[in-house]
Amino acid sequence: MSKQSLLRLAQADWFGPLVVTLAAIAIIRGFSPDFLSPYNIQTLLIALAINALIAFSQMIIIAIGQMNLSVGAIGGLAAIAFAGMMQVWHLPVALAAILSLLIGIFCGALNGALISATGISAFVITLATLAIYKGINLGITQAQPFYGIAASVKHFGNAALFGLIPMLAVPTAIIAVALWFLLTRLPIGRFILAVGGNEHAASLSGISVRSVVILAHAISGFLAACAGMLLVARLQLGQPSIGDDWLILSFAAPVIGGAVLSGGHVSVVTTLLGVAMVALITQALVVFSIDPFLVQVVLGLLILAAVGINRLRETHLIARRA
Amino acid sequence: MTSNPVFEARGVEKIFPGVKALGGVSLSLLPGSIHALLGENGAGKSTLIKVITGVHRPTSGEILLDGNRVHFANTREALAAGIGVVHQERNLIPRFSVAENIHLEQLVGRPLRPIDYAELNRQARQWLDEIELDVDPTRPVSELSVAQTQLVEIAKALSLRSRVLLLDEPTASLTPSESQTLFSILRRLRDSGVSLVFVSHKLEEVLEICDRVTVLRDGRNACESQSMQGMNRQDLVRFMIGRNEQAGGWRKRDVTARPVSMALQDVATAAGHRNISFSVRQGEILGLYGLVGAGRTELAKAIMGRIRVTGGQVLIDGQAARINSVADAIHRYGLGYVSEDRKSDGLVLSHSVLANAGIVVWRKLAGRFGRLSDAAVRKAVLPFLEQLEVKTPSLAQVVANLSGGNQQKISVAKWLAAGVKILIIDEPSVGIDIKTKAYLHQLIRELADRGTAVVLITSDMPEMISLADRIAVLDNYLIQGEVENDGVYDRMSQAIMNLIHHEAGHAAVPA
Repeated sequence: MSKQSLLRLAQADWFGPLVVTLAAIAIIRGFSPDFLSPYNIQTLLIALAINALIAFSQMIIIAIGQMNLSVGAIGGLAAIAFAGMMQVWHLPVALAAILSLLIGIFCGALNGALISATGISAFVITLATLAIYKGINLGITQAQPFYGIAASVKHFGNAALFGLIPMLAVPTAIIAVALWFLLTRLPIGRFILAVGGNEHAASLSGISVRSVVILAHAISGFLAACAGMLLVARLQLGQPSIGDDWLILSFAAPVIGGAVLSGGHVSVVTTLLGVAMVALITQALVVFSIDPFLVQVVLGLLILAAVGINRLRETHLIARRA
Repeated sequence: MTSNPVFEARGVEKIFPGVKALGGVSLSLLPGSIHALLGENGAGKSTLIKVITGVHRPTSGEILLDGNRVHFANTREALAAGIGVVHQERNLIPRFSVAENIHLEQLVGRPLRPIDYAELNRQARQWLDEIELDVDPTRPVSELSVAQTQLVEIAKALSLRSRVLLLDEPTASLTPSESQTLFSILRRLRDSGVSLVFVSHKLEEVLEICDRVTVLRDGRNACESQSMQGMNRQDLVRFMIGRNEQAGGWRKRDVTARPVSMALQDVATAAGHRNISFSVRQGEILGLYGLVGAGRTELAKAIMGRIRVTGGQVLIDGQAARINSVADAIHRYGLGYVSEDRKSDGLVLSHSVLANAGIVVWRKLAGRFGRLSDAAVRKAVLPFLEQLEVKTPSLAQVVANLSGGNQQKISVAKWLAAGVKILIIDEPSVGIDIKTKAYLHQLIRELADRGTAVVLITSDMPEMISLADRIAVLDNYLIQGEVENDGVYDRMSQAIMNLIHHEAGHAAVPA
């Protein structure tokens, strides 16, 4: 490989996060030899599978230059709907799953429709719908979990392929590939990034900004619902508090992966790496038996560091061009 | 040339609530021609461009394409009809590749078919070759230079098979050599039969590459689709400035006995001014006349400490002043600046009248621990708001809800409240109606009568001649000369035009 192609590689978005991730794995492995034990890898992959969907759910909104504070509320609502339909209405798993996904898509699309119809900022709209969706959740559950989860779902939550890869990671892997394809190969995914990159230019090119915004929010709702349902499978119950702690993580992973909060630049691969870094750090704190409550602090510091690095890169790029 | 016009606008009127932006403008574009569209700020150029490109619908009048009447409901319809435009602001997606930007329109028609990037790049290559732009179609446009992105936009317009291509100030941010490259491309497009419209404030460029010209003034044709044959810079300037208007309200004000309030000596700035010297006395209105792009606003910003002064000196009350920041200018030297761009530079539109009028006195009024009471601000600014008869339901009203004239009054009032001794007023009457304009002129005279030294920047010739005591003419970032104003419009406008036409030395007006 020539020096130039190495340099090109080093400039790729995913290169930095990948190096850091691999380094983190090597370091933790050095301190704790059983870090890469099959059991530990499984635990990591499960966390990765669910957290990646949460991060994607925010990432697609960051792509259009907005934010979605209600990802957790949508995920939670879909989760308890999924569990509730199985317990109360005894619906077949497939039907309950489809209906719950539709609820997620509807909640997201409603966010998008309200934002583009009123022109009010996504922050305010999704703050309001966060309260509404969470309120509906608590109204339905009376803050009590649904325990009547179908056996097949419970089994899915515990099963592993080849005794190593948790089944929970399979939907996430499929979704990640589909999202990657959408955002890099399908015009409609490119429109999402175009709207985030330069909304005015996108609309002058004939892109319907309104439908793109609604679409992105619908996808966000779908992904949040997926994450919620996977959590039901993993926890083996429909916990009303599912989604309550998603918000910071949902921003942290894309941002650590280099997403630009003003829109137009997100990447499925680096977001996955961002999720991996967060999971590794959480693990590291366990390995080094550090107070787990520090995870939040570290997460916050990571976000600040990532934003700072992004900023440096931007100014460096601008300086080099001038 | 005997060919038929590819595009025509006939008697186009555009009325916005309360403002007639276009009052019957006509324009006809020939294939294989570069047509200059000229006019000062507010003359109606941008409104006309928006009508042509389908952003606005004309209130009356007709648009013809190949001799047939057309109605564009939106920009897409205009695009589809072959009318392309390269706007002043960049309209590309920064992180997307050159090829994808060029073909974004085409992708809209097939949202779910996967993109074949190899094919996209190959097609983009063709359009880039067409304009001899040697950039890799896979590069993101954020990595290109300003000139290159501009050319990508032209390639994009061509890929849509535009027969009419409007270029809105395409050279505004280009270096001279980049402009020359652009011109050679434009000439080649012209020779291949495209009808180009070139909007620019740089008359030399217009003289260089345009073959026909339309000039707008006050929303009307000052000249319509004339051949450029035999026209020189002065002819264009005369069309743009016009000489059929009368300057009213001028009166002689003798201030020669008053001390000099501010003087510039051989000032050079980072914006490119050289050897700028002028002075203004207490109570005097010094006009600073220049066409758009002459460096007027930049000079004002240099005096206010926003642009670095690189040479010479500024004297305030006879003392050399070191103005390093706007705060210095306001608080140490009593300078005030009423901005040309009220909306983005002068006022905080979403804040109240009180907050806007008080913004520059906050620092002076702030009590211990920086505490600031509304009552104190009210006491400081109310007399001036009343004096200027600002019409507002209350001081808590949000400024965005007031008329342009009232907004302008507030931006003047805030400087009065700050007790400035020298006030620079930049294009005071852009976007306000005639009645308010007359009132504003009265206000500026009264300000001067009370001893404020006023530097008035305007490209509105009648306004200049009805207000100024003395007029310094700025062109190309140089002072071309000064004329003593006598309020006689024909004579003064001729003298000013002569100065802009680089006939410096004839500044004295023949009596």
